[in-house]
Amino acid sequence: MSGGLLKAEWVKLWSVRSTYLALGLAALMAIGLGALDTSSVADHWATMSSADKAGFDAVAEAFNGGQLGQLAFGVLGVLVISSEYGTGLIRTTLTAAPNRAGVFAAKAVVVGAVILVLGELLSFATFFLGQAFLARARLDVGLTDAGVLRAVLSTGLFLCVLALVSLGLGGLLRHTAGGIAAMFAVTFLAWPIARAMETWSYVPDHLLLANAVDVLTRATPPTGPHAARLPSMGMAWFDLVLYPVVFLALGAWRTTRDP
Amino acid sequence: MISAERLTKRFRSTRAVDQLSFEVRPGRVTGFLGPNGAGKTTTMRMILGLDTPDGGRALVGGRPYRSLERPLRTVGALLDAAAVHGGRTARAHLTGVALAGGVPVTRVPEVLGQVGLEGVAGKRVHGFSLGMRQRLGVAAALLGDPPILMFDEPVNGLDPEGIIWIRTLMRSLAAEGRTVFVSSHLMSEMALTAEHLVVIGQGRLIADTGLAELTGDGSSLEEAYLRLTAQAVEYRAGS
Repeated sequence: MSGGLLKAEWVKLWSVRSTYLALGLAALMAIGLGALDTSSVADHWATMSSADKAGFDAVAEAFNGGQLGQLAFGVLGVLVISSEYGTGLIRTTLTAAPNRAGVFAAKAVVVGAVILVLGELLSFATFFLGQAFLARARLDVGLTDAGVLRAVLSTGLFLCVLALVSLGLGGLLRHTAGGIAAMFAVTFLAWPIARAMETWSYVPDHLLLANAVDVLTRATPPTGPHAARLPSMGMAWFDLVLYPVVFLALGAWRTTRDP
Repeated sequence: MISAERLTKRFRSTRAVDQLSFEVRPGRVTGFLGPNGAGKTTTMRMILGLDTPDGGRALVGGRPYRSLERPLRTVGALLDAAAVHGGRTARAHLTGVALAGGVPVTRVPEVLGQVGLEGVAGKRVHGFSLGMRQRLGVAAALLGDPPILMFDEPVNGLDPEGIIWIRTLMRSLAAEGRTVFVSSHLMSEMALTAEHLVVIGQGRLIADTGLAELTGDGSSLEEAYLRLTAQAVEYRAGS
């Protein structure tokens, strides 16, 4: 992978409006909904049920609006490669740079780096804003409190993981609608499959990306009946690495096949 | 110089290209003719390293395309003018291609000027007419100032002005000593543009000959072509 390929992917990323639209929507959803959510909790804390209070986590609450934002990051990851197949531009790209694995790697590096930086920025911005609202009911936490920094950092890291998984799926399927549907299924909707396996094992539950993120992005350990489905902290980190590795490998493999 | 050596490509049971051998020499426009589905585009894709041959090989400047360090400096190709992301500006599109291909980005304004698109360099491509997209595709092909140029059906859908522009461009590129290989199924156009012809049918070579030899008996290129490819087309229709 040459520096030229990285620069080319950088130029391609920032020369289409869908990039700005996806990032703008993600930020708007995460920050806007996070602010509304935390201010609502702060105002109604006194009248909230004890079950809701037990499940409350100051970091996760602040990023509650992030799920819609996550979707936008995923869509961006798919589009980075599927739009090249959709328009036929991939043929021009691969005649300019016949090293197909290098082309895919350059996309992964540029998308991964950009989304990691922006994802962390968004995560920290949402965190601080959310804590400001929660402070009204003295529910706020600080970065130095137990588990808080890890939860905030892994919230941003998950956005990067999501974009990379999506890039892998886009490369594997070479189709925008198919890639987005698959991203949705893999990252958000795979849980019924794990539920169906619970008669035999909870391991599928522990391998769900959504469950791993549930563990990593809260400062306090999860409680309640759902807790058995959640992986340990170590397993959650493993999941966070496993998903991008597997799906990037699949995307890279398909990209080296004839377009 | 482009050479195909027993080039073969199968798609499931059909042989799209079958033991095809020919050479395309510099300094003249070589037309690549054949009925629809004869394997012209597949052959061009194999020459450009986009499709992997099942047998034989294709060389550009004596080397397989995918082994070239900076292929844009050896071969410029226009396969499909529509294959551009409509949301990008002409300048951004060409900058991306130049960077990926290791060509200095200072070439971007030069080729935009060469094809007459400098006035719309900052406009998004989805607003371009087919003729403008064709010019943009040609600009991308010229980025590396390559000695070999390939065009797949470049005049399809163009207005007379666009057709004349492409024709003049191809002839002047050949006159500069470059290898120019252009596929088409428009006989009248080829008769005006090409000096040499490679004719294929069902993926096999039917003729590799000068335009003059083919039309020497006083028949038009169209008549000569139909005579040559009659069997190829008949077989396809009956199969």
